[in-house]
Amino acid sequence: MNESDERVRDLVRRAIGPPADPELKRDLWPRMRARLDAPPVRVPWWDWALAAAVVVCLLAFPAAIPAVLYQL
Amino acid sequence: MTETAAEVLEQFARGDAEAFEALFRQYQGEVYGWVVRIVRDPAAAEDLTVETFWRIYRARARFDPRCEFRPWARRIATNLAVGHLSGRRPETEFSDDAPPARVCSSPPDPAVSADVREKVAAAFEKLPAKLRAAATLAMIEETPYAEIGAALGISTAAVKSRVFRATRLLRRSLIGAGVEP
Repeated sequence: MNESDERVRDLVRRAIGPPADPELKRDLWPRMRARLDAPPVRVPWWDWALAAAVVVCLLAFPAAIPAVLYQL
Repeated sequence: MTETAAEVLEQFARGDAEAFEALFRQYQGEVYGWVVRIVRDPAAAEDLTVETFWRIYRARARFDPRCEFRPWARRIATNLAVGHLSGRRPETEFSDDAPPARVCSSPPDPAVSADVREKVAAAFEKLPAKLRAAATLAMIEETPYAEIGAALGISTAAVKSRVFRATRLLRRSLIGAGVEP
């Protein structure tokens, strides 16, 4: 590391500085509990239907696979 | 690892909710403290801490209780923090009761003018997320490279490389902004 790099780092250190308070101010367990108790996200049936339709189309027209991949 | 801690880890791996709560309470402060150093935003750090433990909970069956919990949790937290910096947000519902606190750093060096501080901060924010995370931990937090490497899942040499590239990009940005480092 040259002197110029060291000056950049020193400037960053002096200009930004570490977070004033890295301590957690409150218990996050209630939020975690709520997250654990939340019902799982359900995928709507039409999304499954759409995915199935895409798979069927790709099986029927395999030549379209590269074009579909290109669009992703 | 004490016998009790090993038991808690084994119970957690078997899916015991109380063991998970014990681990959460034991490590939430540490995970938060690590994440807030990277993202520098207390509200986001809280969200990412909960998200970290959510992912830990979902992956409990894959956890080997003979291994240490801390490095595993830190690795997950670091990945999420880097994702946050790069603009990818986890699927958390951001809390409405969180204080709207934004980056709050220690009092900066008075020898550095406000203008220069702003330019340095702007240059820093422009860094790619992976470089920014490594640079934050190395330059500002002065975390040992080996520790950064373990958290990011890369070698010490790769950390050095990222910090080196970040330094070069920062210097270029600062010179472009009229700040001679």
